[in-house]
Amino acid sequence: MELQAVLMAAGGGSRMMDLTYNTRKPLLPVGNKPLIWYPINLLERVGFEEVIVITTKEVQKMISTDPKMKLDVKMKLDIVCIQEDAHMGTADALRHIQQKIKTDILVVSCDLITDAALHEVVDLFRAHNATLSMLMSKAHEFTETVPGQKGKKKNGDFVGVDGTGKRLLFMANEADLDKGLVIRKSNMRKHPRMHIKTGLVDAHLYCLKKSVVDFLADNRSVSSIRGELVPYIVRKQFSKSMTSPNVNDEADQKLKKKDGNANVEIKILSRDEALLQLTRERSCWNDHRGDMSEAYHGGRLRCYVHIMDEGMCYRVNMLAAYIEANRLAPKLFDEPAVHPSAAISVRCLIGADSIIGASCQISDKASIKRSMIGASTTVREKVKVTNSIIMHGVTIEEGCNIQGSVICSNTVIGRGADIKYCLVGSAQRIEPEGEHTTAYYCLTLPSHTQVPLTSTLSGNSRVAKIQ
Amino acid sequence: MSSRGGKQKKGNVTSEQEEEEQPLQAVLVADSFNRRFFPISKDQPRALLPLGNVAMIDYTLEFLTSTGVQETFVFCCWMSNKIKDHLLKSKWCRPTSPNVVHIITSDLYRSLGDVLRDVDAKNLVRNDFILVYGDVVSNIDVSQALQEHRHRRKVDKNISVMTMVFKESSPGHKSRCEEDDVIVAMDSKSKRFSMGTDEFEIRHDLLDCHISICSPQVAELFTDNFDYQTRNDFVRGILVNEEILGNQIHLYVTQDGYGARVSNLQMYDSVSSDMVRRWVYPLTPEANFTDQQGQGCTHSRHNVYRGAEVSLGHGSQMEENVLIGRDTSIGANCHISNSVIGNNCTIGDNVVLDRAHMWNNVHISSNVEIHQSVVCDGAVVKEAVRLNKQCVLAYNVVIGPNLSLPEGTVVSMHHPEEEEEDDDDEFLSDDQEVGHSKDKTRQKAFNPAEVGPEGKGYIWKASMNDTEDEELAQCLWGLVLNPDPESDSESEASEESQDRTFQLEVLGTLQRGLEENIVCDNLVLEINSLKYAYNITLKEVMQILTRVVLEYPFQQQGTQLTTLQYTGSLLPLLKTWSPVFKNYIKRAQDHLDCLSAVEELFLEQDTHQTAMVKVLMKMYQLEILEEEAILKWFSTGATNDKSRQLRKNQGLQKFIQWLKEAEDESSEEGE
Repeated sequence: MELQAVLMAAGGGSRMMDLTYNTRKPLLPVGNKPLIWYPINLLERVGFEEVIVITTKEVQKMISTDPKMKLDVKMKLDIVCIQEDAHMGTADALRHIQQKIKTDILVVSCDLITDAALHEVVDLFRAHNATLSMLMSKAHEFTETVPGQKGKKKNGDFVGVDGTGKRLLFMANEADLDKGLVIRKSNMRKHPRMHIKTGLVDAHLYCLKKSVVDFLADNRSVSSIRGELVPYIVRKQFSKSMTSPNVNDEADQKLKKKDGNANVEIKILSRDEALLQLTRERSCWNDHRGDMSEAYHGGRLRCYVHIMDEGMCYRVNMLAAYIEANRLAPKLFDEPAVHPSAAISVRCLIGADSIIGASCQISDKASIKRSMIGASTTVREKVKVTNSIIMHGVTIEEGCNIQGSVICSNTVIGRGADIKYCLVGSAQRIEPEGEHTTAYYCLTLPSHTQVPLTSTLSGNSRVAKIQ
Repeated sequence: MSSRGGKQKKGNVTSEQEEEEQPLQAVLVADSFNRRFFPISKDQPRALLPLGNVAMIDYTLEFLTSTGVQETFVFCCWMSNKIKDHLLKSKWCRPTSPNVVHIITSDLYRSLGDVLRDVDAKNLVRNDFILVYGDVVSNIDVSQALQEHRHRRKVDKNISVMTMVFKESSPGHKSRCEEDDVIVAMDSKSKRFSMGTDEFEIRHDLLDCHISICSPQVAELFTDNFDYQTRNDFVRGILVNEEILGNQIHLYVTQDGYGARVSNLQMYDSVSSDMVRRWVYPLTPEANFTDQQGQGCTHSRHNVYRGAEVSLGHGSQMEENVLIGRDTSIGANCHISNSVIGNNCTIGDNVVLDRAHMWNNVHISSNVEIHQSVVCDGAVVKEAVRLNKQCVLAYNVVIGPNLSLPEGTVVSMHHPEEEEEDDDDEFLSDDQEVGHSKDKTRQKAFNPAEVGPEGKGYIWKASMNDTEDEELAQCLWGLVLNPDPESDSESEASEESQDRTFQLEVLGTLQRGLEENIVCDNLVLEINSLKYAYNITLKEVMQILTRVVLEYPFQQQGTQLTTLQYTGSLLPLLKTWSPVFKNYIKRAQDHLDCLSAVEELFLEQDTHQTAMVKVLMKMYQLEILEEEAILKWFSTGATNDKSRQLRKNQGLQKFIQWLKEAEDESSEEGE
């Protein structure tokens, strides 16, 4: 086995609490499949037979019961549960499963929906004997209006790659750059062309050497892969102690002693290292031109990145991404848009870009366009659903008009309600439309308060206004 | 490009004419406005110095002509008459020349800015023009760049004011001038200097050819901004004001072609060797593009060029990359490699030349060895002289016999001091009148120890000019190519610097505390907040604090303190700050850490080791340190020879003895 796959599915989805209040993030329905299905499918497609899933007890229970997962997933899921309230970061989680890790690993986050060719990332990892290779994609502009949210946060990561666009040289967040971009000249000397790119999303898909996991085991202070480990490795590529070519074990040991308990070095001496070294010495191949120094300038840590130019790559960690993913995800698999078990009236209108889940009931004269309807949902007569996500078990009474909204599971929407760009939490009851006729007051709460456009309703009937 | 020979410019010119009705103009600045080539350029302006036995300005003019320039304005300042004479004699001033050369001289030019302001005042340029220095050697075809430039100007309505020509060459390449080490941020798509866009590129693999295609506005902008002296001022000014004025600068990056400016002797050396190795084709030594009689030479394998009437003695070898001018005679058993020898030189027997640049009429006697050096016109090197690397013998110098010049020696007939007197004039231009001080020089005798018993000349020292920023300018050879000035690991460096800044902050806090009489509690509060700001462990805080306090007297009163003065000023400080210490030194381990910090400091300051006892004593009395800790430290802490040595200090021994006794007493009392 060359790579072990690790799926990080313990995140709570803290950036879209309104959705994840009742459903954990890995189980959020996207195109009527739980979110976690997508990374598992991605791994399955490239031939992984086993994956270590790090998740919480709750999610584990759901995964084992979810019929979709049972039916579709053929690979072996090795589920490792961690305490939900332990506040473990992704790196902590890796440390937790260190015993299970025997080879280099491929870490995937459960919220990744992509059609990327994974082999591009792995090939970089193989070809350069890299310490880290990762996947990035151009950030997408979210086209749909996001319910309950105005404006969006800017993702201001600066990523520096070399002339070939593959080697990752530099990484910094805009927020950290108070004094402007600082790049060391010695790095420029080694990599004279550096493309600085912004507007990229990190897909949170990493190939890591086993030694990195060992390093994590020694360094308990590192808790997050993206936040701490990756920037650290990227920076360490150019540190001197790593670049000195003849660090033998003895020197390593000395270093360790010097650093005391904090072992800051990543030991990447693998069993083949000596042979590889020899190969590189004997070979005329070099990764750079100009000066006559050896390939990679004797550096032992190498980070690579594959940046997708086209194709789809979403991280479902925000509401906007969730909606966008729902719109696009069905294109990833070719299943019938309407589940066979759904009872659909002949006289209703269902657009080709909509998905209807299992055992749904759609009544006469309903019109569903560009929407996803979850399982066991009942849609009554004359209901119009446009650009919306309806989760499972929702009942929509006659004459409702739902547009650009997200309706969470087990909600009942009263007759004639007019809902525009709203987020309705799970197990809600939306009162039937009565005297409210203006489009601005589109939601009626049980307490008959009026909520203006772009508001959020959450599971506990909490009314939060998001600016 | 390589297909175009020296004389085939006609086709190119006509195509240019079709495209643009007005002839292409160029501004050639035949003055460097600095003294990098002093003392050589005291006798000959830089543009006329021979490179491959051809004056440098001829290369520049040839380059301009071959790219289709039809009208060139040559601006001369220093020794303008010599340049004028040279140009009038050259093929450029013949009636058949496709490139009309106008020579404009003035003693008032002090910088490139002055020249361009004059261009504007005289209204010389009518359209886009090429701006080069008289020491640029290039075969780049800039017509492509010119087209791009014109296209941009057409599309964007004169927003682009300048297109600079760069050549791709990775760091470490020998034709890269270390002083001219540019790092460029550019927009890869529009080839614009910028950093604002979403995606940009930082490039360190570009070599500035010092060839720029300028819009006529450039001259105007120089007039408007009278403080612009150099092109760098201009570029910086444009980029800084890009958003306000809307002017942009673009780049043209060429992958093939050769372009370099001979800005110091290091560059002279590498450009000259590139020339001989035919990198600047079609400008090769045997091409005789200056079309002068008798300049022709033959080219044989291993890049050996021989002029007319060259005689070579028995057993002499010309290994490779050798250019020998006409009427030069070489004696027997000589060994010559990678060298250029001028016209009318005589070289004796058993001479070794490697990377030597010898100009015209040089006499080398037998048994001479020359490595990577420049020997100017009329110089005489007598028997058994050895020139080590990077020596310069200026015009008419005589050296030897039996002498070895150390590395980097510069010998000139001009006395360095006459130069210094001229320095009173603050401007750096070369246009000083040298003659007036000649009689003074005569009075100073040559030093036979420096230039040999029969020698004539004065040694120039690189450090002669002691103003810091001009030190660079004085160094003839420029910075030596340093293959890999590797700095420390980044994170280590940053951690180090964090400790360092923390230390400085603590020092500042304590200083302020002393000056403003701040209560120790508040000091502790401030140090604690610093600790969090710099993410320093408690142990380090204490070590740094100890160090800062112990070094405080040195900090305030200089390092020349005697031990007595040191303790005198330190002990009251310890008393003042003892609450601060007590706050940090609580556990047994803290005591040991503090002691080891004290020890470390006194190991560094080994002249003050006797003060250590007093410090420890005071700290003990102030109850900062406990006796058990001190005893434990004394008995176990020694890890190396030095600290063992330290523990043998008599005062310390006594102190420990006293402590032990005191302990015994106290324990007895306890019983």
